[in-house]
Amino acid sequence: MSRAIQIRVSESVVRTVHVEDGVESPLEMLPILAPERMGELLAKELEDQGFIRDGNKATRIDPDGIEITVDLETATVSVKIGASADLAETIDRRQNVGIESKDAAEARLRDDVMRDLDDRLAARTEDLRRQVTQRLEKKLGDLRSELDGAVGRATVSALKEKATQLGQIESVVEDGAGNVAIKVKL
Amino acid sequence: MSDDEAEDLSEEIEVIEELPQVAASESDMIMMARALIAGPTGHDDIWALLCATRPMPPKIGPTSARLLEDTLRHTWRALWLRGGAKPMGTIRGGGSVRGRLWERHQPEPLAFTQATVKLLRWLVATPFAAPASTLTELPASPLSVGDQLVVYLALDAARTTPALRGIAIQPFVRAAPLAWLGFAPLLVGRNVKVPSFDSLTEGVGAIVLEALTGELARRWYASELGKRAITDPQELIELGAGQEAVLTQFMASCDKRGRRDLAAFVIDAAIPLLAKNLSPAPAELDSKAPLSTRAQARTAAGSLLRAVLRWQDWDQEHRGVRFIDDNYQAAQLLLERYEPIGSAGSGRVSGWLADLASLAPTTPSPDTITDQGATST
Repeated sequence: MSRAIQIRVSESVVRTVHVEDGVESPLEMLPILAPERMGELLAKELEDQGFIRDGNKATRIDPDGIEITVDLETATVSVKIGASADLAETIDRRQNVGIESKDAAEARLRDDVMRDLDDRLAARTEDLRRQVTQRLEKKLGDLRSELDGAVGRATVSALKEKATQLGQIESVVEDGAGNVAIKVKL
Repeated sequence: MSDDEAEDLSEEIEVIEELPQVAASESDMIMMARALIAGPTGHDDIWALLCATRPMPPKIGPTSARLLEDTLRHTWRALWLRGGAKPMGTIRGGGSVRGRLWERHQPEPLAFTQATVKLLRWLVATPFAAPASTLTELPASPLSVGDQLVVYLALDAARTTPALRGIAIQPFVRAAPLAWLGFAPLLVGRNVKVPSFDSLTEGVGAIVLEALTGELARRWYASELGKRAITDPQELIELGAGQEAVLTQFMASCDKRGRRDLAAFVIDAAIPLLAKNLSPAPAELDSKAPLSTRAQARTAAGSLLRAVLRWQDWDQEHRGVRFIDDNYQAAQLLLERYEPIGSAGSGRVSGWLADLASLAPTTPSPDTITDQGATST
C-alpha cells in the first residue's frame, strides 16, 4: 500500500502589459481650394485647439492619455489610447498524491498552475483593454464635435479665400448654425 | 361473339410504352435534379430528399443518363420562371436590345459537364442530417456555366434546410462564381478566394445572369438588412470583405467586357434600402470588442454602398456619351437603369458611408433593424 503525501506548488508571475485601442476616420473636407491649402487652413484651426503641427501631421495628447493625430494631406484623423500596467499574480496549490507518483504529479500540478496564471493574466489584460476602450469611446462624441467645428471653420476660411479670388467681398453673414453667405462683387 | 367482332376489339387496344427502369440510387439522383430545376414549387420535400442518403454506384446507366439529360433540358424554362421572362434591356456591341430574354438573345446551348453529375451524386449520397464538418468533402473542379447554375439552384433549394451550410462550405461550391454572386454571405470566410467572374460576363453566362438579375437583387437586399442585426464585429468584417471582393471583381469584369448592365442588380438591391432609409449600419456591435475592430466592421458593412458609388462614377461617364458616339444607345440604357437612384440617392449613399466611417457613428434604433420595423423618411 502506497503512502500518501501532500505536494505544494507555488508560482508567481509579474508581467508588464501594454494595451491600446484606436480608430481612424476621414474628415469631410470640401475641395474648395487646392488640397495643400485646405490642409494649411485646417492646421491653423487645429493649432488654435491645442494641436502641435509637425509637417503634414497635427497632434495633440490630451491629459487622459488620448492621442489625436490629424493627417493634413489625406484629411484623416486617428485617435488612439494606450495603457501599460504591471500585473502580478500568485497561485499556491496543494494536492494529495501517492508517494510513488510524486514527481509526475508535481510536474502536472505545476503545468496546471502556470496555465491558470496565464489565463488570469490574459483576463486581467483584457479587462485593462476594455477600460481603455471605454475611455476612448466616451471621448469620441465630443471629439467628433470639436473636429467638425474645426473643419467647418477651415471650410468658411477657404470659402472667403475663394471669394476673394473671384472678386471683392461685399459682405459675409455667418449664423450660429455654421451657415455662411458671402456676397462678392465681380 | 363472332370472329369479326374479336378482330375489332383487338384493334382498339392501346400500345403501352414501357416505363424506363433505373436503379433506386439513379432514381434519387434524377428526383434531386428535377427538384432543383423545378424551383421553389419543387422544394417542399427537399429536406426529405437530402436526408434520404443512398450509396451511389461508380457509374450511371444509359437510361438514367437520358432521363437526367431530359431534366436538364428544362433549365432555360426554370430561368424564365425565375425572372428571365421579364422585359429588360441588354447591351450588345455598344447598342441595346430590349424585350424578353428569348427576344433579346438567340437560343444558346447551356452545357453541363460531368461536374453536374458529380454534384448530384454527392447530394444524394451525403447524410445531411449529420454535422456539416463530418460530411465527405466535394473537391473543386472546373465548372461550365450549366454546372454553376446547378450549384446555384442547389444552394437555393437548400436555403431553408440545415443542409445549406454543409453544401456552402464545399470547395466545389466555392469554385462557382455564380454561387458567389447569389450566396456570398454563405461562402465568405478567412483565406477563401473569390473565383474569376469572366465566365459570367460573356456568352451564355451573361444570359443566365440577366435572367437572375431580379433574384440576385433580392438576395443582396436581404443581406444588407441582415447586416443591421449582426453583433459580432469579426463576422461583419468577413462578410463585408467577401462581398467587397465579389462586387469589385465582378464589376471590373463587366467593365472589361462592356457589359455594365449585368451589374444592375447592385442598383436594384440599393433602391429599396434608399426608399426605406435603411442603411446597412449594424445596430449594436458587441461592446466588449475593441473599438478598432468595431470601426473596421462598420466600414466593411458598406460594401454594397461602395458598389453603388462605382455605379455613380459610371453614370457620370454615361452622361458624357454624345448622340453621335457609337455606344450612345448603351449609355442611354445604363442612364435609365441608374435613374431611380440618381444624385439624391448617391448623396444619401455617400452620407451613409461617411457615417459608417465616422468617429462617433449614429446607430439605427432597435425598431428599424428589420425591414418590417422600418419607416420611410
